[in-house]
Amino acid sequence: MENIKLIINFLGQLLPAINITLIVSVSSIVLGSLLGLGLAAAKQSESAILRVFASIYVSVIRATPSIIMIFVVYYGMPLFFSAWFHINIEGWNRMYFVIIALTLLFSAPVSEIMRSAYGSVSKGQTEAGLMVGMTPFQTFYRIVLPQAFVVALPNFANSVINLMKEGALTFTIGVVDMVAKAQMIVANNSGGYAWQTYCALALIYWVISLAIDKGVTLVEKSYQAKRKTIAA
Amino acid sequence: MSLNTDFMVKVAHTAIQGVPVTLQIVLVALLISLPVGCLFALIRIYRIKGLEQIVKLYVSFVRGTPIIAQILIVYSAFPSLLNMIIGKAAFSINPIYYAYIVFTLNSIATLTEVFRSALQTVDKGQLEAGLMVGMRPRQIFWRIILPQALISALPNITNATLYLMKNSSLAFIMSVKDITAIAKTEAAFNYNFLEAYLVVWVYYLIICYSAEVIFYLLERYFSKYRRSTKKTTYFNWQPFSIKQPNVSAEAELTESGRGDHAQNRRIKKKL
Amino acid sequence: MLKIEGLRKSYDGNEILKGISVDVSKGDVISIIGPSGSGKTTLLRNMTTLEQADGGHIQFADVDKDFQKLSSKDIQTIRRNVGFVFQNYNLFNNKTALQNITEGLIVARKVNKSEAKKIALEALERVGLSDRQNHYPSQLSGGQQQRVGIARAVALNPKVIFFDEPTSALDPELVGEVLKVMRDLAESGTTMVVVTHQMNFARNVSNKVIFMADGHIVEQGSPESIFEHPSEKRTQEFLTDILANV
Repeated sequence: MENIKLIINFLGQLLPAINITLIVSVSSIVLGSLLGLGLAAAKQSESAILRVFASIYVSVIRATPSIIMIFVVYYGMPLFFSAWFHINIEGWNRMYFVIIALTLLFSAPVSEIMRSAYGSVSKGQTEAGLMVGMTPFQTFYRIVLPQAFVVALPNFANSVINLMKEGALTFTIGVVDMVAKAQMIVANNSGGYAWQTYCALALIYWVISLAIDKGVTLVEKSYQAKRKTIAA
Repeated sequence: MSLNTDFMVKVAHTAIQGVPVTLQIVLVALLISLPVGCLFALIRIYRIKGLEQIVKLYVSFVRGTPIIAQILIVYSAFPSLLNMIIGKAAFSINPIYYAYIVFTLNSIATLTEVFRSALQTVDKGQLEAGLMVGMRPRQIFWRIILPQALISALPNITNATLYLMKNSSLAFIMSVKDITAIAKTEAAFNYNFLEAYLVVWVYYLIICYSAEVIFYLLERYFSKYRRSTKKTTYFNWQPFSIKQPNVSAEAELTESGRGDHAQNRRIKKKL
Repeated sequence: MLKIEGLRKSYDGNEILKGISVDVSKGDVISIIGPSGSGKTTLLRNMTTLEQADGGHIQFADVDKDFQKLSSKDIQTIRRNVGFVFQNYNLFNNKTALQNITEGLIVARKVNKSEAKKIALEALERVGLSDRQNHYPSQLSGGQQQRVGIARAVALNPKVIFFDEPTSALDPELVGEVLKVMRDLAESGTTMVVVTHQMNFARNVSNKVIFMADGHIVEQGSPESIFEHPSEKRTQEFLTDILANV
């Protein structure tokens, strides 16, 4: 009982830092999806160089620990920028480095998800669309995309949850997010109530993950409902 | 931009001592979590009252929270827990044991889901056929169902292993002397962090890629029964190509194909 | 030899089998025919205890009991005395053709390995697949898989072999090879109960035909009586429909 009270108390102290997590996650999702779209397009492209580049990129990311990616971006980018563009970016908000690292990480699985979703609906549906006289763009936009979206959704949501969890490493380069905040609280209590603090931290992430899962299930259900009514 | 290559060579030499540590963590976690994950999957499939809910909650928690939070919880809670049991000795335990605990607990959740879907891809007809030749359910599980499920789970087990290997790079937070920790200490002397992490990166690429090759060979060896005489599979030499868990899709395809066949024939018969 | 009385089975309140009685004597080849959804497959699955019947009595091997009162030992006895050939073959995917047959012999019947192999090879010979003994199911055609499925049932030397629409999942050109194996079995005196849509088989191979509709046995008798002089209107309709399309 005592512990639950403590956890609730810590929840209150941690929650204000949630905006860092949200900003980092949302920006990386948006940027990562765009980059992922580019990669997916590169994989489908005529140019062999683009295709090879895209697949090497995706496979390297698959074997890269997130923490290493964050460190390499954080320590490498300022050096890279000053050497090549003579721009000093050391003063950047450290959050930007995390966003860039997560964008790079997120784009790889997302490109694969997009590609396989597109592949799963594309062929017959495109042909049918073209044969009823729609333009390729109309066919893509009105027929293929909505179907691919439904196919991709569960995997995409899964990747989003993973991204958010990887985002919990933001603290390692000194941004005060919820994890850093939790560590400070523990330090302030001279190491006391540590596990209760970290449980509060985990709870927050758990709730967000569950919410994303629930949201996806609802969207899927509404799509399935639509399908049924059309079929009937 | 110039990299301190001498330093990189030096880090490569010292950090390699961390490779066995990383592999040890991965191996211990896998060896424990494979059977336990399988057991948990069975609990969920057979809906064992009470236990089912616990497993569900456990898997949901582990999958819904960052590994860093799990590390921090275990690392802060276990020493005092152990203190109650074995006294002061708890605080002098080699931290690698905490790494074993965290990564095992984490992998159990991942593998529970992997086995759950793999066991469900095995057709119910396999069980019925076993019953009709007089085998007992337990015999059918060990001799027919589990071997098939294990093989269809292999691609996802590969994924889970890579995930585990990558996550193990966070063991340094528990002051385990793994690759990352060693490189970090080396780098701190002269602030050569970029060089150090580039070396670590290469090590992870090598480790993960080796794991993928090993799993690929395993898959090839064990799935001989899946290959029809006509098509043979080749190793995809694109390094670390992302394997979608296509096993179930394949199974579904043949399943629906069969249904269609039957339906066609029924239609033919009617016509 | 096998006697079923008043077999009942419902799913979700829908009664699929409304009190079926079947009497199988040694050497019988019984064909069960009828429209889709009439309960033929359900009947087979309940007779062989693959599913638990809601009511009825079975007299077979050493068992003489109501279905609901069957102990797990009784169920084991029944299963050890029947063979079953599935519509989808259900060969063990991780076992070769030969191993599919030896598996039951070795594991369930405790036959020693060399003896089991000998029996299995004979069974494969009988279905004409000796040269495929080391192939996995995925390497066999549907017709070949079903012949292995039949060999697997035959090898256990059961009192009765049940066939659940054995040719329904096959491409039309593969149906013949399976029917031929079944005809050979029938001629060698094997007791068989066959759910089938192959009217030629029912008419020319079996000695008794059961016509089922809506969970009842509408009519049963010799193939001649059913096919030439059906007494029930329902039977006549079914036969006119199906024979018109052959």
